[in-house]
Amino acid sequence: MMSNLNIDSVKQRTFDAIVIGSGISGGWAAKELTEKGLKTLVLERGRDVKHVVDYPTTNMYPYEFEHRGELPIDVQKANPVANRCYAFKEDSAHFFVKDAEHPYIQENPFDWIRGYQVGGKSLLWARQTQRWSDFDFEGPARDGFAVDWPIRYKDIALWYSYVEKFAGIAGDKDGLSHLPDGEFLPGYPLNAVEDYFKKKVLDKYGNRHIISARCAHLSKPEPVHHQQGRAQCQNRRLCQRGCPFGGYFSSNSSTLPWAERTGNLTLRPFSVVESVIYDEQKGKATGVRVIDTNTKEVIEYYAKIIFVNASALNTNLLLLNSTSSRFPNGLGNDNGLMGKYVAFHNYSARISAEYEGLQEFTTDGRNPAGGGYIPRFRNVLKQETDFLRGYAAGLSGFRTLERDLSGQGPQLKENLLNPFLGPWHISSHMMGETIPKESNYVSLDSTQKDTWGMPLLKVSVVYDENDHKMSKDFVDQLTEMFTIAGFSNIQAQTNTRVPGNDIHEMGGVRMGHDPKTSLLNKWNQLHACKNVFVTDGACMTSTASQNPSLTYMALTARAVDYAVKQVNNGQL
Amino acid sequence: MQRRSAIKNLMIIAGGIAILPSCAKDKEKGKASIQLNNLNIDAEQEKLLAEVSEAFIPTTDTPGAKALNLHLFVLKMVDDCHDKTDQEGFVAGLSELEKLSEKRFDKSFVNCSVKERGEILKDIENSKNPSGKVFQFYKIAKDRTIQGYLNSKYVMTELIPYELVPGRYNGYFPVKKS
Repeated sequence: MMSNLNIDSVKQRTFDAIVIGSGISGGWAAKELTEKGLKTLVLERGRDVKHVVDYPTTNMYPYEFEHRGELPIDVQKANPVANRCYAFKEDSAHFFVKDAEHPYIQENPFDWIRGYQVGGKSLLWARQTQRWSDFDFEGPARDGFAVDWPIRYKDIALWYSYVEKFAGIAGDKDGLSHLPDGEFLPGYPLNAVEDYFKKKVLDKYGNRHIISARCAHLSKPEPVHHQQGRAQCQNRRLCQRGCPFGGYFSSNSSTLPWAERTGNLTLRPFSVVESVIYDEQKGKATGVRVIDTNTKEVIEYYAKIIFVNASALNTNLLLLNSTSSRFPNGLGNDNGLMGKYVAFHNYSARISAEYEGLQEFTTDGRNPAGGGYIPRFRNVLKQETDFLRGYAAGLSGFRTLERDLSGQGPQLKENLLNPFLGPWHISSHMMGETIPKESNYVSLDSTQKDTWGMPLLKVSVVYDENDHKMSKDFVDQLTEMFTIAGFSNIQAQTNTRVPGNDIHEMGGVRMGHDPKTSLLNKWNQLHACKNVFVTDGACMTSTASQNPSLTYMALTARAVDYAVKQVNNGQL
Repeated sequence: MQRRSAIKNLMIIAGGIAILPSCAKDKEKGKASIQLNNLNIDAEQEKLLAEVSEAFIPTTDTPGAKALNLHLFVLKMVDDCHDKTDQEGFVAGLSELEKLSEKRFDKSFVNCSVKERGEILKDIENSKNPSGKVFQFYKIAKDRTIQGYLNSKYVMTELIPYELVPGRYNGYFPVKKS
């Protein structure tokens, strides 16, 4: 794959398509483009990470880690942003960027969690995958914020099916109109306390559901998954290390090797895209300018179509940096809205409790889905609270092994070796929709640059009153639900996480009907530069409350299908 | 690769992981047996800590703290994963423990009987004076000894096997009545 690095003729730097980024959406773009026969160059700013081979910690036992999983304090202190991510531990720290190497400017506190390597954050994601419904796509129009989505559920439903079948999504057919069912492998059943809670809540409210979390794990692989070289998930729950079984979906285990097998893929790691090249005569983009991160050499690559999948905020950065006399404010940014209306998910509250009942059961093995999922139940059919939109929530119940740690000597040793089961612990965290606003934005610093000469990104994103009200409502409602279930020791924590720590940053290059108020059309094409497609988080008009990755995958496959048809009929 | 395995042979195994030994010159000066970057611990103090760890988790019919080198694991963790305040408190508290022993039994902790050691440690645990250095030392040493023990290769393979690949999940697993 790396054989073409030293050639410099234009012809050999010319491809049918270029994909910027190899994470969850870039991997999909690569798979779809190469399968459709396009010679495709995938540019990744970080190093290569080969499936299994480059998962150095994947088969390590806890006692094989120098600090038993903990990171040395100097590493923690040197990386305050990464260190606030739950997954930044001794077994996975090598998949996170080091803060000092990749500075950005926080005009307000914002945790920008990044994984710069082939596969991006698809190695690290929490693997939760839910479809959107029209209650989500119609949100901005109904509630009067952002702009109307240019698509509806019917436009994407088949593409959800398409990506679900390939990625492998475990879940149950729950029959909920606001969380459409998909093409599921068997779901991971709720455990005793989660099931109990589900029944109690449904009895009381009738319209509040707790379902098995839908996740990108191979609970029962189909032939298409074996063809990818993946096997059944083995319930390790060590996913952040990279999975030797390919039990969960990542670019590394799935889309990229698939693309490689077509013979149409060229993958170039260590490639920061400085800008997209715009040709004024032709009225379209002709390629990209790449900085080799090792040599700092600038190299141009050319293609008919360009997919920008650099991750939401980096996509904003590189498009804003793609200036020309036609586009002095960034490629396709005629209306000046690029970088604005950035949104995220409100993760500002969580709640926990204990339950003394169901002592006759515990769990055995590990649940890769993580437990249950509470789909949004607020303001679904109509506005009913003093805040807009709503929140979904994760829910998990578990019993811990407890030990009497008092004293010393043979008795303590005996106690350590003979743990007993504690009560059930139940915990839930909110995932709230936030309202995209012009005042939540990213922009380029006019003077400061990084090691490669790229302008530093300034991030100015804050919670608003709607978020605070929603956070309070989550605590109130979950407290009520926990109380109804007879749970005790209910404890809520709020305002523990700053924006960005949800790792669901979205927007800035939003889709819409009107070029005056949006950057992308319904096919994820830049209104003003039709051969550039943006299908990562940057394209999102609103955020809904679902985990976003599945929607990026579906939008990407859909956009590639359209783009290739346009190429083939001479439109692009 | 040969060089790597040579280095490996020189490593000290503490609870299942290899720790770099200090260099021979340091040992002559009575330094700790493992390489420490932040802690200033001499061989005597290391020996004292070994006895404290052993007092927490003694050898019975199965290996205890000393046999598993858990005191070296404690040193490694304090050296790498604790801040300056903890590190200073740890070292100062270790000295104070020795003073307590001298005051109470007129001898060094390492020369105390198992019973005497137990009494000294019990008193510290029951005092629960979190601002005191000796309690700060005690808490860190005890927590890290326990962590090192439960996460040691020996315990995780012989006594409470850790499953790297469970391959199953049952959310209604019946609890055996004891």
